[in-house]
Amino acid sequence: MGNLAMTFIGAGVAAIDFAGGGFYTVLFPSPALARAEPSTLPPKLIRLRPAMMKCPFRALMAAILVLALMWAAESRAQSAAPAPAAVPAPVLPAGVADVPSAAEQADVSQIEFGAVVRVEVDMLGANYRVPWNIGGTGSGVGTGFLVGKNQFLTNAHVISNARLIYIRKVDLPEPFPAKVLHVAHDCDLALLELIEPGDFKNFEKVTPLEIGGIPKLNTTVTAVGYPIGGDRISVTRGVVSRIDFRPYSHSAVDNHLTIQVDAAINPGNSGGPVLQDNKVVGVAFQGFSGAVAQNTAYMIPVPVVNRFLKDIQDGHYDNYVDLATSTINLLNPAQRLALGLPNDGTGVMVVNADASSSAAKLLLTGDVLLAIDGHAIASDGFVEIEGERINLNEIVERKFAGDKVKIDILRDGVKKSIEVELRRFLPYLIQANLYEQKPQFVLFAGLQFQPLDRNMMEVFNIASMDVRYFFANYGDHELYRERPQVVVLTAVLPDEINTYLEGYVSHVVDTVNGQKIQRLQDIYDALKDGVAEKGHEDFHVIRLLNEGRPLVLERNKAAEAHARILRKYNVSFDHYIEVPLIEQVMGKMPPIKDESPEAGKEAKPENKAAGPNGKPAGTAKPE
Amino acid sequence: MKNSFRLLASTLVLPLALVIGPLSAQEKPQPVGADGPSPSNSLVRVNATLQAYNFLRPWEKGNPTPRRGLGALLSGGRVLVTAELVVNSTYIELELPTTGEKTPARIVGLDYEANLALLAPVDEKSQMLAKMVPFELDLTVKAPDTISVWQVEDNGDGVSTDLDVLRATVGEYFVSGSILLVYQVKGSLQYRANSFTLPAVRNNKLVGLLLSYDSKELTSSLLPAPIIQHFLDDLNDGKYDGFPSIGLGFAQTLDDQFRKFTGLEQVKGGVFVRNVAKEGSAAKAGIKEGDVIVKIAGKEIDSRGNYAHPIYGKLNFSHLVRGDAKVGDTLKFDLIRKGKPLTVDVKLERREPGSYLIDPYMFDRGPRYLIFGGLIFQELTRPYLESWGKDWPTRAPFNLVYSNANPEKYEQQGREKLVFLSQVLRTPATLGYENLNSIVVDKVDGKPIKSLADLADALNGVTLNGLHKIELEDYPRLIWVHDGVSRKVNDQLLGYGIGSLTRLE
Repeated sequence: MGNLAMTFIGAGVAAIDFAGGGFYTVLFPSPALARAEPSTLPPKLIRLRPAMMKCPFRALMAAILVLALMWAAESRAQSAAPAPAAVPAPVLPAGVADVPSAAEQADVSQIEFGAVVRVEVDMLGANYRVPWNIGGTGSGVGTGFLVGKNQFLTNAHVISNARLIYIRKVDLPEPFPAKVLHVAHDCDLALLELIEPGDFKNFEKVTPLEIGGIPKLNTTVTAVGYPIGGDRISVTRGVVSRIDFRPYSHSAVDNHLTIQVDAAINPGNSGGPVLQDNKVVGVAFQGFSGAVAQNTAYMIPVPVVNRFLKDIQDGHYDNYVDLATSTINLLNPAQRLALGLPNDGTGVMVVNADASSSAAKLLLTGDVLLAIDGHAIASDGFVEIEGERINLNEIVERKFAGDKVKIDILRDGVKKSIEVELRRFLPYLIQANLYEQKPQFVLFAGLQFQPLDRNMMEVFNIASMDVRYFFANYGDHELYRERPQVVVLTAVLPDEINTYLEGYVSHVVDTVNGQKIQRLQDIYDALKDGVAEKGHEDFHVIRLLNEGRPLVLERNKAAEAHARILRKYNVSFDHYIEVPLIEQVMGKMPPIKDESPEAGKEAKPENKAAGPNGKPAGTAKPE
Repeated sequence: MKNSFRLLASTLVLPLALVIGPLSAQEKPQPVGADGPSPSNSLVRVNATLQAYNFLRPWEKGNPTPRRGLGALLSGGRVLVTAELVVNSTYIELELPTTGEKTPARIVGLDYEANLALLAPVDEKSQMLAKMVPFELDLTVKAPDTISVWQVEDNGDGVSTDLDVLRATVGEYFVSGSILLVYQVKGSLQYRANSFTLPAVRNNKLVGLLLSYDSKELTSSLLPAPIIQHFLDDLNDGKYDGFPSIGLGFAQTLDDQFRKFTGLEQVKGGVFVRNVAKEGSAAKAGIKEGDVIVKIAGKEIDSRGNYAHPIYGKLNFSHLVRGDAKVGDTLKFDLIRKGKPLTVDVKLERREPGSYLIDPYMFDRGPRYLIFGGLIFQELTRPYLESWGKDWPTRAPFNLVYSNANPEKYEQQGREKLVFLSQVLRTPATLGYENLNSIVVDKVDGKPIKSLADLADALNGVTLNGLHKIELEDYPRLIWVHDGVSRKVNDQLLGYGIGSLTRLE
């Protein structure tokens, strides 16, 4: 049950870094590529975004195997080998003698296969265990398709951690070097372009694929791509099975609208178009391993694709925004009676709006959400959009940073309408798979300090209760306010100066030389000359959370030992530090204690003011 | 993980051939009818039926299971066994190995932390044990003495196996976290029927009870006579106090840099106090985190935490304050605090498991619980967490595992027990709540819940609109249940096979 074995074919590099040779030669499907959730992370730790969904999806996530559908079947050696000088012109499936119905034949024969490209990637992972070294290398194959002038859409997981990217056209032998224009790890999409503008002349006669809409259930769709099983383009067909909110396995923390199809979609299909009436209705991206379920593949639907394409129009990707508000469905008659609601199947109750989220102080525990942007909210958390019942978060999903959402609520029996300006919510990222990262660390006298995130947690497989607590509750308990980065002593490189300290790894660092450690930079600064704990000027003093025994190093020996250790262990640089992302985006946050009494103060007068003017619950219409 | 396992488990899987196989080199048959103690006239078979409580389905008890072992006869017609042999027992009987005669028995003394129990026939007039020869204790065994482990064959014949004592140390017995003196012994042993609790003897005197045997390393650990003596003395004074505990964690001070930092340059040895348990003996005496203990009761503590025991040599100081000491004893501690010497008197105490916010162990009684309309509330105990299996620290709900390790927050809130919603049965009263589990309960109808009794009182109190408002520590923070509907559901649950809706005592 705890084995949330999400297989990231494309993202597997970091996971196999340290296996030995480092080369990525395993053929899919192989257990060696399956990245199992470390046993230290019980399924409950997975905080899925948006927070509103966290209850139902916790259970789901624990039970499934999701595969990102990039084909990493080639070994490094194979992909480095020169491509054959001449590739025979592919026999396109449209030309294959077949006896499809007239309608189906028309469907396929119109497809612009020239727009569907093979994306070949050489990857370089990060090394979290020995952070001054580079990580493992590997290669993989995915699919992409032309959506505009020199713009190829594919999955983020196809090009994550890419060192080199090549695009191959269906009817040409040579690979064209490409680069990433934009990548959205939170919805698994990326836009590529050919590095040499001149290379695009090969595509000038190709019509970019047109983006369509949301297909209806039980209608036929066609997936085109370069999946496992051969080198040339492949076409498979199926029907739309389900339209639902689902976790996206690439980041492991995001949920968006997803469409399930029963077409055969396999590793290598990733990033490829799924077509209906010759228009793109989705981007193939993940599926179940055959051991879990059959004929269930998923594609990223048009609303998500369009949102990405619109977001990047200003030249950069700004990520999804989030209400970061958890709710509970209002199905229980006692709940409804207590909240003053009739049994009409409407409304969900606010459990908590994260204190640093867009909705902080605007939505309070016990508020009932009645409608969002005019869409009535059913008591199971669904709204109706374009004739489909979809999770209410879909309304927020389609918006951008700075957009507003209008929410009709019932508070203490009084209806009111509030407006929330949406912005990105970052604390959940601590549990996300991160890509294109240079591991941050500070090494001092053999003590290796690193900030807590999912990548680091998985590499070190930390069982310490405190570290697991911070990992699980960083967002929910607002621990990021006191510690934007949770700094952990992850390793000790043995030397005479630290030989008694090895037993203290996997602890959270609380203070260094009297300075509170709120981020990695603080450790680096605290170890400088002139910073000392009062009364212990001759020592570096490192105090760990919930550990009474401080770690001490004599100053006059530490500098010498540090130089010796760098030499002995071949450490090429002794620190790499970035401003924590959460502070880059959200700024420095005041400690939690300064704010919470205020929140209470503000909430109360608001209630009073609303009280006398409010209409009785259940009779008033939404404002 | 040590590759050692309890004798019972091994007994079950070994082929019968071994039991009646030829005697090994170290084994020799013991004559019956000798004057002094012998396997045949000093050992008693003990047959117990055990039935543990189910902590995950708290209204149930588990499968009844048999456990057989050997007891050592002591004076006064009492039979000494490990507590583990009779834990959660529903029925115990004594059996003579020679004749097969049986009599029902009762527990007259019991300490799970010391893993010792004393049994006696229920029938006070029973003469079954009268002709047998009781053991005396030998407290003087040390390395490299040779001792013998006694067993009996199915036909009642005695067998003795010689083992060599390697050393005395401290280790865990049966209740996790309870550290007491053990002898490590070496030598091969064959399993026989009834091999749970094997008495070990020297010169026909009892030197200990075998706790575990590692068949790969051929090493065993022995619960030694000094601990047995402590247990018996304590019982004999009419009021059983148990073994005291000091309530502190320590770190070694081998690191020269750390010794300088702590001001130990002019001092020999000493251990650094890493943490002090609230309400423990050390805390009450004023020992603080950061103190260095250099002497206890005049005995020097070295930088590894050992002192020189007159018989065993280097031994961890925990024996000095637990196995070797009695509740109520006062020991002088020489400390270094911020570089300066200091002396405190520590009065040794013991805390009952039930006095902790989260009971560290619970036997012979069921966990407290309350079912209301399908919501199942329980008090958190360590056995509840352990019910999730061997890897419970990673398998059990993390928030509860974390609470168990960090109870201070809840203690400061004045809670006596940690009440939580353990699971929800799907009923008309719990519609929409089916997936909730493992959430700490803060308040019910505005009243703080400090124990399950508080919860029962609150749910029996006056309701507003006929509803109970339940405030939870975590998602979904707030739920309501209908009083009338829940009570109807309660009746249905009883009809459905849940024997009882509460256990409050």
